[in-house]
Amino acid sequence: MSRDFDWPEFLFLLGALRWTVVLSLIAFVGGGIGGLLLAIARTSSHAILRGIAAAYIGVMQGTPVLMQLFLAYYGLAVLTGIRIDPWPAVTLAFTMYAAAFLGEIWRGAIQAIPRQQWEAAAALPLSPAAQLRHVILPQAFRIAIPPTVGFLVQLIKGTSIASIIGFVELTRAGQLIVNVTFQPMIVYPLIAGLYFVLCWPISLVALRLERRIDATLGIKQHP
Amino acid sequence: MKYVFQFGIVWDHLPRLLDGAWLTIRLSLGAFALGFVIAMLLAFLRTAGPRPLRAAIAAYVEVIRNTPFLVQLFIIYFSLPAIGIRFEAITAALLGMSLNFSGYATEIIRSGIEAVPRSQIEAGYSLGFTRLQIFRNIIVFPALRTVYPALASQFVLLMLGSSIVAAISAEELTAVTNTLQSTTFRAFEFYFVATAMYLLMAIGARLLLHAIYWTVFERARPVQQPWSR
Amino acid sequence: MKRRDMLIGAAVSGAAGLATIAAVTQSTRALAQTAPALAPGGVLDRIIKEKKIRVTAEVTSPPFGILDRNNQPDGSEIETARQLAKDLGVELELVQVTSPQRIPALLAGRADVAISSLSITFDRAKTVMFAPPHGALSIVIAGAKKVQIRNAADMAGKKIGLTRATLEEASVPPIAPQGAQMVFFDDIAATMQAMVSGQVDAAGMSAFAAKSVSDRNAKAEIENKFTVRTAYYAAAVRPGDFDLLQFLRTWVFLNRQNGVLANIYKKYTEVALVDLPAF
Repeated sequence: MSRDFDWPEFLFLLGALRWTVVLSLIAFVGGGIGGLLLAIARTSSHAILRGIAAAYIGVMQGTPVLMQLFLAYYGLAVLTGIRIDPWPAVTLAFTMYAAAFLGEIWRGAIQAIPRQQWEAAAALPLSPAAQLRHVILPQAFRIAIPPTVGFLVQLIKGTSIASIIGFVELTRAGQLIVNVTFQPMIVYPLIAGLYFVLCWPISLVALRLERRIDATLGIKQHP
Repeated sequence: MKYVFQFGIVWDHLPRLLDGAWLTIRLSLGAFALGFVIAMLLAFLRTAGPRPLRAAIAAYVEVIRNTPFLVQLFIIYFSLPAIGIRFEAITAALLGMSLNFSGYATEIIRSGIEAVPRSQIEAGYSLGFTRLQIFRNIIVFPALRTVYPALASQFVLLMLGSSIVAAISAEELTAVTNTLQSTTFRAFEFYFVATAMYLLMAIGARLLLHAIYWTVFERARPVQQPWSR
Repeated sequence: MKRRDMLIGAAVSGAAGLATIAAVTQSTRALAQTAPALAPGGVLDRIIKEKKIRVTAEVTSPPFGILDRNNQPDGSEIETARQLAKDLGVELELVQVTSPQRIPALLAGRADVAISSLSITFDRAKTVMFAPPHGALSIVIAGAKKVQIRNAADMAGKKIGLTRATLEEASVPPIAPQGAQMVFFDDIAATMQAMVSGQVDAAGMSAFAAKSVSDRNAKAEIENKFTVRTAYYAAAVRPGDFDLLQFLRTWVFLNRQNGVLANIYKKYTEVALVDLPAF
């Protein structure tokens, strides 16, 4: 009386894969903006700004994503009294998580730029903000691309955690299908395969970018 | 909407939370130890083994690193029983965490191995060392020293990632927190405290790892560096 | 430099965070009467005005919530939700939840009504407001035929799977003997999978769910071992949403009279609906 895993079930999984991708992209873009702000704050000359950014990154990197998700899902509405729908709550949690990690990556990239660049930019009549915008960030950007692309893979895999709160992305869809077909030996490896097909090309791109950056810039990626 | 915070209830259940945290720590240490051993072996074989084996290890690493940990756990805990392999929750958690860790650690250690200057290795060959002897005497220590920060980060990620094993019923900190909040209806208070506990464990782990680095790799330096004679 | 930064940041953010939490909770308490989103007394109007009602849907709890042949949400509670939306004349939006998420989704405002086989208990009544019941269920311990469990005492030395935030989680541990190991999962689907795959010896769940599992897994030979308790389940709303609650009272009353609730129940559970008390 249970259904066997067949095309409708596979299409259901593909439909959910769509949500995994959407969630990952929103968090990646949002986290990118947040991460940029954090990286600038982390490398600024104001101690309080540096401190707050460091504390934020420290907390987000020192606590499990799952806990961050639970707090966003259970706690936000309680604290603020504002009604929050599932998608905003989940995307907010992953955006904050992504911002912290991307901020760290980009801080590392900014700090990898030799001091001479900063000094040279200051020798030209450029304000600190302009130094950042025209001299430092473009160079940091190139160094930061490979680990940033690599983080996208981490983010995509991280969205699987949203299944635990019932958010219907690919992993949750897998659980639902297993519950209907009772064929975990087919479904879960298939889910893994779908994630692999999504993530592996991105990982390869990151690897290729890293090799190219290493070759052209000659700057060590791992200080 | 009125919500009155009641942290006192969390305090009442602190012993259970501490039990859960203790399992988190034990799982993390165990998985690190097991995963590290596996990774050392795989890293060695990846650089010094026959080509088909190297390809297989590379494939293993890619699969682990491009699939979610939660799905890996589901396969170990829910899928394998269908073909007769059944692991109990904590064993499945330990196995999953070790294999996942080894996927990342293998790559990290391999990059450390490749960072050892070729001249050192050639010197070893000229002295008549076998591959294994070269690995043990020339490569291991400097390689680990180079990649120690990366491995230390991975350990913290491992420990924080252990929260996911709650999904297969292992009663570590996250699972205990979930159970307590669902029976007392004090979700925010419990999650807040549990998050703080994780943060403390992460900070503690980083400090400890820092101390270990200093003891093993810095203090011992004058004697153990092969080129500082 | 990083550690000093973190200490400065921790001090500043900690102080700022505590101050913010204090300020926000004070102001939300003050604004509770006027805040539009979760204001008591305005929910029903808002639902009618927006022409949309959000209801929780648990699709891993057969037959109350399932995925049908087209992998779309279906089941007795989801059908009930559809009926509610129809009688209100609004569109239905299903908010998918797991068992532990049913009440939190309601309290956080992600859903306006929770219709997901929420059994009426004292503890839950302290955090949500229940409408009169529209269904009944019984909680059983179910397991494979070869597992010998005739009563609560036989659970000693066995692993019993339970889903968090369910009636079975509340009722089974108190009657479990020493040496019985309770194993908790975050979702009914996981508990059922654990039972079928042998990861637990037996599991607590509704009798309907156990029947559904055994129907679909003849090989596993799942059977009911003993009944733990019976309960009535009802729709739930946030504390303070009295207008919605009163509508639900009237709604349950009318749909009991016209037999709609009984039909929905019979269609999915294949059992006649018992006499439902009202309050």
